Amino acid sequence: MKIAFERSGGFAGLRLTATIETDDLPPDEAAELVQMVEDARFFDLPGKLRARPGAADEYQYLVTIATDDQRHTVETTDTAAPETLRTLLNRLNALARRRR
Amino acid sequence: MFHRHPIHCIIPPHMLREIAERGSVVQQAQALQSYAASSQLRGQRTELTGMPSVAQTQAAAGKERIIYDAKETTTLPGVKVRSEGDPPVDDIAVNEAYDGSGATYDLYHEVFGRNSIDNQGMRLDSTVHYGESFDNAFWDGQQMVYGDGDADVPEEERIFNRFTAAIDVIGHELTHGVTQHEARLLYYTQPGALNESMSDVFGSLVKQRTLNQTSAEADWIIGAGLFTANVNAQGIRSMKAPGTAYDDPVLGKDPQPGHMRDYMNVSYDNGGVHINSGIPNHAFYVVAREIGGYAWEKPGQIWYRALKDELQFWSDFQHAANVTYQLAGSLYGKGSLEQQAVVTGWKEVGITVETGFGWRQLISIIIALLNQLGGGNVIPAAPQTAREER
Repeated sequence: MKIAFERSGGFAGLRLTATIETDDLPPDEAAELVQMVEDARFFDLPGKLRARPGAADEYQYLVTIATDDQRHTVETTDTAAPETLRTLLNRLNALARRRR
Repeated sequence: MFHRHPIHCIIPPHMLREIAERGSVVQQAQALQSYAASSQLRGQRTELTGMPSVAQTQAAAGKERIIYDAKETTTLPGVKVRSEGDPPVDDIAVNEAYDGSGATYDLYHEVFGRNSIDNQGMRLDSTVHYGESFDNAFWDGQQMVYGDGDADVPEEERIFNRFTAAIDVIGHELTHGVTQHEARLLYYTQPGALNESMSDVFGSLVKQRTLNQTSAEADWIIGAGLFTANVNAQGIRSMKAPGTAYDDPVLGKDPQPGHMRDYMNVSYDNGGVHINSGIPNHAFYVVAREIGGYAWEKPGQIWYRALKDELQFWSDFQHAANVTYQLAGSLYGKGSLEQQAVVTGWKEVGITVETGFGWRQLISIIIALLNQLGGGNVIPAAPQTAREER
């Protein structure tokens, strides 16, 4: 599974990007990540999840996940993301930060 | 009862003639109308305000703040921990949010005669301790939300402190609420960068007024103290010298431009709204520098009137330049020092004020016209959301 992660905006406007290959991760971490993608039902999510009108300074997330047989991109913010997706975003953010 | 036709009330005759002489007006109006409709479908526009909520009706008296604690969850608003008039509590973030939203309310009320975010006494709700180690602050369309910064990493690796630590951040977030009820600037590319800049301008004015600083004394740094000592930074943004707020081996360099030649066309951050805001930010700084004295007085008045009365959802930097020029003329006199300062401010960021009748003025008239015809419902102009009952 290959994940392209981008977090931009926020009050400070800092951009954070990372490409994560689950094959490159320790097996237990990879398995956990795959489970999070499954729990978030990532491939069934709409391509764009919107915050409440008028909202500002939220982080903007752009996540593309590709497996052997499917590929999907989701654009969201913290408040627009369902709880399960937020769990995944937090993990991806931590992985991206580790590489900064 | 005799009513004058609303269109005749809002548009001067010479402008009506201008409109009549242009064949494309109807097409343009239709285009704008369909644009508004599609914005609505995309969720940019909101459900109409229904019954006034308890919060709104009760708060009409004036300043009313409530601070909530999310207790490191992402559930909003969280548990109520301090209400208007309550003494300080044993939590610095709560007290900072309370004091900062109070100082912001006071700036708007005492300097600009505005009663809260919606000018109708809307209650100011803030939530602190949002999320686990959440390194951001935002306006969610109804309230202010503050994270604790990245408390999850070892102290020597931390980048962000708690977001209530800088009073201009509080003024910035609350101003997003004001913009939502006034100009309703789209949160995308130039209107979005202008939206961000308005928040920085009034956030900075809250700080300068709290510290009783003239424009010459102020540091014009946004978010001083948000970065920890681990980061080589003065703050998040510099209105005086955009692009110089930080330069750090981990975070990189402040990307803000201070001139149109360096405008960044990017796909991320809603088209760089937190990046290109440096351009109108610097224009405001120069205007304040040129006028001198307290920036919240004349420069603030010009910018506030632009936000309240002139800017619209589509407004770009050029439109902001044109309307601030017009406002400076009507407030302080044609050819006045203040009006010249506005010309200089925009010139220093590469924008020449347009003084004649152009397409931007035409569009703003058409939108005002459509709003009159549609009772304010055709193009977003009225308050967006009824606060959910709490």
